[in-house]
Amino acid sequence: MANDDENKKTVQALISGELPWAEMKDLMSGTKDPERFRVVRSILQSMVPFPEKILLPLTPHLFIVQKQSERIVKCDCGYEFGDYRTNWKYFSRVRVRDSEESLKSLYHPDQGVDPQWMELREFYCPGCFRLLETEAVPPGYPVVFDFQPDLDSFYRIWLKEPLD
Amino acid sequence: MAQTVPRILAIDAGGTMTDTFVVDEAGAFTIGKAQTTPNNEAEGLLRSFDDALHYWNIDRTSAAPHLGAVVYSGTSMLNRLLERRGDGPIGVIVTAGMEDYFRMERAVQTYAGYPFSDRLHVVTHVHNEPLVPRRYVKGVRERISFFGEEVVPLYDNEVRSAVHSLLQMGARAICINFLYSYRDPRHESEAMAIAQDVLREQGSDIPIYLSSRSNPVRGDLARLNTLVVEVYAARPSRQQLFNIRDRLKEEGSSAPVRVLASYGGTVSPDVEWLVTTLISGPIGGILGARRLADTYQFENVVCTDVGGTSFDVGLITERELLTRTEPTVARFLLTLPTLAMDSIGAGTGTLVRIDPAVKRVTLGPDSAGYRLGVCYEPGGVSVPSITDCDLVLGYINPDYFLGGEVKVDRDRALAAIDEQIARPLGSDPFSAAEGVVRLLETQMRDHLYGMVLGLGYSPENYRLLGYGGGGPLHVAGYTQGLEFQDILVPSWAAAFSAFGGACADYAYRYDRSIDLLITTDAGAREMVAQSLNLAWQDLHDRIADEFLRDGLNPDGMSFVPSVRMQYMGMLDDIEVRAVWPMDAGEGLTDLVKRFDTLFAKIFARSARSPEAGYFVTKAIGVGILPTEKPVLPAFAVGDAKADPSADKGRRQLFWRGEWHTARLWEMEKLRSGNEIIGPAVIEAPATTLLVPPGHTALLDQYRVFHLMNG
Repeated sequence: MANDDENKKTVQALISGELPWAEMKDLMSGTKDPERFRVVRSILQSMVPFPEKILLPLTPHLFIVQKQSERIVKCDCGYEFGDYRTNWKYFSRVRVRDSEESLKSLYHPDQGVDPQWMELREFYCPGCFRLLETEAVPPGYPVVFDFQPDLDSFYRIWLKEPLD
Repeated sequence: MAQTVPRILAIDAGGTMTDTFVVDEAGAFTIGKAQTTPNNEAEGLLRSFDDALHYWNIDRTSAAPHLGAVVYSGTSMLNRLLERRGDGPIGVIVTAGMEDYFRMERAVQTYAGYPFSDRLHVVTHVHNEPLVPRRYVKGVRERISFFGEEVVPLYDNEVRSAVHSLLQMGARAICINFLYSYRDPRHESEAMAIAQDVLREQGSDIPIYLSSRSNPVRGDLARLNTLVVEVYAARPSRQQLFNIRDRLKEEGSSAPVRVLASYGGTVSPDVEWLVTTLISGPIGGILGARRLADTYQFENVVCTDVGGTSFDVGLITERELLTRTEPTVARFLLTLPTLAMDSIGAGTGTLVRIDPAVKRVTLGPDSAGYRLGVCYEPGGVSVPSITDCDLVLGYINPDYFLGGEVKVDRDRALAAIDEQIARPLGSDPFSAAEGVVRLLETQMRDHLYGMVLGLGYSPENYRLLGYGGGGPLHVAGYTQGLEFQDILVPSWAAAFSAFGGACADYAYRYDRSIDLLITTDAGAREMVAQSLNLAWQDLHDRIADEFLRDGLNPDGMSFVPSVRMQYMGMLDDIEVRAVWPMDAGEGLTDLVKRFDTLFAKIFARSARSPEAGYFVTKAIGVGILPTEKPVLPAFAVGDAKADPSADKGRRQLFWRGEWHTARLWEMEKLRSGNEIIGPAVIEAPATTLLVPPGHTALLDQYRVFHLMNG
């Protein structure tokens, strides 16, 4: 990248959703920037109110952070879900839409789903009550564990800066 | 030189430079260049004309009265569309239920113009901002079926209220496009009559356009796009063209001004549908190539045009040019018959970078364009371009760029290549620059090889013609290893497109969808022949009217009837010459035979599938009036050895990893018959021909170089 500040500004705009389409298209079509992860990480770090180091963003509001010797999932409101190797959804507030009535409030009468075949599970943060994730699964399906990253390999092999 | 009498003036007004090509009575020509003046194109044009004439020591006022033909081609209309600077607001009336044409588009419009990597990369696909906002699109109830029958009558009151509200919203024109109007235009015509009533009542005189009038062909989105682009981009250009005509008249010219149309003919600026002249730049080159092919009696020619931003390839196969009927222009599907040229985004301005992740050279897709590269400091480009590489390698003369008018700095180019390309690759700047140029040339070679193979031919069947600003410089490279019969570079390569424009006929073309099935059934054949004859009669009369309006006698017009047809069930139709009037017996049998032969040529004999019959999709008419065209004068062929006055000295150039001492020649002073042995560089103000080591360039009687390996 010719200019680190420019690059940072672009990524900042990307994260806040303010990047104009033409520039976003350039980013998508352009070459991969080996520094991109570090830039994104540092911008996200500056946006959260807690001091723990972000290791990896999981969703727009959830991050895996280093808290002393532990790696935990933390919401940007500060709520802590515990070890990242356990599905954070177990510790969230859940609303299941599995009736005609509850689904109707979301869908147009002609559209939507049959609750016999599919239900919607909404996962909310117990700290800030923000909707963090939604699952659309058949009734009885186990809670989906979206992502369990191999943090050590990622930092060691891809970023070439191993975690302690 | 006072006896020089200019007869033809051909203009190619590009985005940055306006080229003029002036031909005298004897066929001798001169080339002029000047900066384009987008706000008043006539100015740049006259300056370019002056520049051309100064080589003959005559001035504009004494030259203009002799002109017999003026042909204009340009990119201003296309640029207006590309940059979305068109006229509006435009009101559109469509069949109810179809109001979201512009928002839904067709998928191809969301990735048109993308490089292949992005086409596969679906997240980069994006909808176009509509030229007509949704609230200016009104639906009215009506329906004509595919068979041309009225299914739902036109709801008059809905047309009235649509026109009323469009007027209130300030629409400056109204376009009407109904489903299957190409089958039966009556609803569109009725809607127009109602709209005219409303306009009269309201005291408005905005124009109304009908799709069945401009383009009675299948494909309603493309048809509507074309109609809207006529109003949006083409109509505003009419005044510019009239201006040019007026200015030339003031200079004493009485020659009609004609504009190059995408199908390869030229039309008056008064033409009913100016949108047919939307694409004209690359078309000129292919027409020039056809002129050369006729002169030399060549059957097959590959035309290659290396510009600043793109590499365009067109094929002339057995003297035939391929026409496409639904090109995508500026990300819009249009129903414009267009001579087929295939482009890749690789030209002399293409920017060169190293992919930091994989340490590989990437070319483009962006280009320095008129800003040339790092070597041209005022251009403000910081990334090296192909031109920078050419300069560093000694191919281009830094003191003779555009005849010395533009100063380029070789050291700046060298430093940028060293820092941004060579060092990351761990190489020296010269090997790096050469690697980049070879990579570009490999991409070009793959592109043209693929096109030739795709038609079932091989390079051995073709001659290759290289032109455009960068053609002569790179043609040796991009033909390396391909066994073309001959490689030709005209000495007027830089203004070849303008030359080609001058070679175009005065011609109007109209297409019409007809959808007829030819089988063995006698009754059906009778119907097919009748429908074709009716369609051609109608097209003929329309074209005759165009010529009449231009003040010309259509009696001298030759009418070329043709059809587009395909095997029933296939998807691609091809254009076949026909005979008018057509009879249901012999006539149709001949037409089918011609189609079979052409299909076998373009695709493959084994792919023919006549079992289900032949489907005629379109009737096409082209009306041609003879016009004055440049003749290529033949010069006496002299000695192989060039005159010493052409010798410009020597320069070091880098080729295949080694430095060579190349001889330099002034193109203007070389004579027919001269043989230039490489390594050599032949220079003209707007063109540089590179003759690499091991190659020879022979200048023939028409002042065309033949580049030979060995």
